[in-house]
Amino acid sequence: MDFLDQILPLVKKPARYAGGEWNAVRKDWESVEYRVAFAFPDVYEVGMSHLGLQILYDIVNRRTDTLMERVFAPWTDMEEIMREHGLPLFTLESRRPLLDFDMVAFTLQYEMSFSNVLNMLDLAGIPRESGRRTKGFPLVIAGGPCAYNPEPLADFIDVFVIGEGEEVIGELLDILIQLKRRNVSRQELLLELARMPGIYVPSLYRVFYDEDGRFSGIVPSLEGVPEKITKRVVKDLDRAPFPERPIVPSTEVVHDRIMLEVCRGCTRGCRFCQAGIIFRPVRERKPETLLKQAAGLVRSTGYEEISLTSLSTTDYSQVRELVKSLLDEHACQGLGISLPSLRADSFSVELAKEVQRVRRSSLTFAPEAGTQRLRDVINKGVREEDLLDATGAAFREGWHAVKLYFMIGLPTESDEDLDGIVKLAKAVLALGQKAGVSRGRLRVTVSVSSFVPKAHTPFQWEPQAPMAELQRKQDYLSKRLRERGIVFNYHDAGLSFLEAAFARGDRQLGAVLARAVDLGCRFDGWSEHFKLDRWLEAFRLTGLNPENYANHRYAYDAPLPWDHIDTGVSRQYLILEHQRALAGRVTGDCRTGSCPGCGVCGALEVEPVFAGGDWDGGL
Amino acid sequence: MAVYRMMYAKVGPARFISHLDLLRTFGRAARRAGLPLAFTQGFNPHPKITFAAPLAVGIAGEAEFADLELTRKIPAPVVARALTGALPEGLSVLEVRLQRGSSPPLMAMVECASYRAEAKACGPVTGEELKDAIASFLSRQEILVERKNKEGKKVLRNLRPGIFEMSGKVDNDIIKIEAELKTGSSGNIRIEEVMEAFQKTSRLPVQGGYALFRTNLYTGAGKEKKMLWQS
Repeated sequence: MDFLDQILPLVKKPARYAGGEWNAVRKDWESVEYRVAFAFPDVYEVGMSHLGLQILYDIVNRRTDTLMERVFAPWTDMEEIMREHGLPLFTLESRRPLLDFDMVAFTLQYEMSFSNVLNMLDLAGIPRESGRRTKGFPLVIAGGPCAYNPEPLADFIDVFVIGEGEEVIGELLDILIQLKRRNVSRQELLLELARMPGIYVPSLYRVFYDEDGRFSGIVPSLEGVPEKITKRVVKDLDRAPFPERPIVPSTEVVHDRIMLEVCRGCTRGCRFCQAGIIFRPVRERKPETLLKQAAGLVRSTGYEEISLTSLSTTDYSQVRELVKSLLDEHACQGLGISLPSLRADSFSVELAKEVQRVRRSSLTFAPEAGTQRLRDVINKGVREEDLLDATGAAFREGWHAVKLYFMIGLPTESDEDLDGIVKLAKAVLALGQKAGVSRGRLRVTVSVSSFVPKAHTPFQWEPQAPMAELQRKQDYLSKRLRERGIVFNYHDAGLSFLEAAFARGDRQLGAVLARAVDLGCRFDGWSEHFKLDRWLEAFRLTGLNPENYANHRYAYDAPLPWDHIDTGVSRQYLILEHQRALAGRVTGDCRTGSCPGCGVCGALEVEPVFAGGDWDGGL
Repeated sequence: MAVYRMMYAKVGPARFISHLDLLRTFGRAARRAGLPLAFTQGFNPHPKITFAAPLAVGIAGEAEFADLELTRKIPAPVVARALTGALPEGLSVLEVRLQRGSSPPLMAMVECASYRAEAKACGPVTGEELKDAIASFLSRQEILVERKNKEGKKVLRNLRPGIFEMSGKVDNDIIKIEAELKTGSSGNIRIEEVMEAFQKTSRLPVQGGYALFRTNLYTGAGKEKKMLWQS
């Protein structure tokens, strides 16, 4: 009998480690040439809600010469037991240790999961530093949004994939299988991979710092290694590989429903948003493709709900037609549709009303800033009257709770903008009262996060507001939002501070990360585990100051640690956008036909793809 | 409307599916299988499936029982085949029978369950030592365990009267213990508590915990016990 069977009953939620879910693939180990462990540096329920995992799992397991299995960060109780019994980190499918695999592939969705990446390598018995991993060890690769500023993880990852994984994975596996047959050294393998478009091999670059320790440049250290790594992008999303039989978890996960990706990218151009830049250009799927995919997914998963996913689903050109067709086809089977995010306008509320068979208690909107002036600065195309229209309609339609997302610490923000948040929240509350929502049930939740400047955005040069200032702003709001019916919550400023340090960090932060993990940091995205003191201690021991990263203002001509990673969006455009932001000038939506000139289409030889039809602009 | 009684197994990775998740899993399997499952009315409709007795997460069930309702009559073997083909690894439907006439609620019928506990010995242990340990365990008048009641208060419970049978053997280095315990709404003894108490007193060389299996559910107990098929 398997020792694990005696271990699992001792941990919380053992289904996290059990595998065997519907549509999980367990391939014959010996029948393939190359074996990949997909590693998600967070707990199962979070990782299994990630569409990218399902896409790559499908592609790799569809091939006859490769297999992919899954591994997630074990929760702390499981980690304790694994360490106690010397049990190495294993995959769910074959329960084999990660050391048995040819490749361990991490996805980087969030900076504060970096500690889990290192901890998972530790638990697998794989040396953390890529330089210590010889041929016998798995190749450790990483992709996802945080790979766009890969430097803080450069010491630990052999190969970064820049861009959309499904575009790269096939080619990458072909090359790796050949190299495995040729039995080449790790060094030779890395050099070979570095020549592939979209592949960044950090160990083949030299980094320079000035006398103050600030990043001053990065250059290839070998011939044939590219100076710039340009992201890979799926040109025709309609024909891109798509998982027809996604894994259906047997235990409840964060997104426990069909994820129908209606489009990729977003045309809005919010200036703080990294996803809005790195997933350019927008590519919509055809409604007929989506209807076909949905029908197949309903049969293959048995899910009772379809979520129309994307960065901004209500912007999908044919969203209303799609919703109507989906309901016509599947409503009789008791299937529901959900929209993950709503644009703040009455069109969105109407749509939400149409789709929601089971009335949820609250609707969520993200005005992001409290005044029109500041919303213009960040290019968030929401007007106050749109938001009031939308929330008023929501209350009249029977919703009794509304959630409003804001950011504090945005560039140029003053207390007037904070007053704007208070004013908006109270105005929304008043609309609820006017619509006759009972006092006991009416609720306006104001959720406030702190602005984190991200690489490759128009705000990449901006400093984050000092932590004390963020806390003052939180206090300021907290004092003014004490009112029956208003719930105020905010994110830990310390966490946002560290996120900012790593989001614009350089390679020196690798040492901090390693120290932090040694000091016990993991699951930093979980408030019960996040300990700012430990991180500050790690910085202190390394002789680095997090403020030099998080709170630093870069000059336009200063070298940036992520300059060698190319999203296709031009630097000139980002500078222009930054200047327009400071001048309070908005930039149009690329969907309207007037090209804002970001440069991505020319640089990557791609085009935005729209599904056509009558688009209700709502701009 | 047609009510079916099914016997199913929940073993392997499926034994970690919680009671609540199991309902969802059967609901989705029925949808995949194209079976017309009946749903409850109301804001949050859920499939009309009732389980004989909840099984704690981590315990395998080799012959579990549940009743399910379909909106139209379909031959029982077809239901069994369709469901089995749509269930995740470790879950399988062993037999389905159409329920005729009315029957007492499945949950009210259950009075006894049989279990097996297995663990790899991490030191030498003989069959005699195991038998002695069980005999001395059963010779106690009281086997007290602490349990939290509904108000969250700790209360002591005596397991001993609910342990109907217990025996064991050693196969190579695997310790195998079988037990019959009082089960159901009129009093429920948990195998994990029994094994924990047993491990505490017997101090057999076992690392980690025991792997636990519920091997069957019965109405009646001892020589009178019967399978849950009859209405």
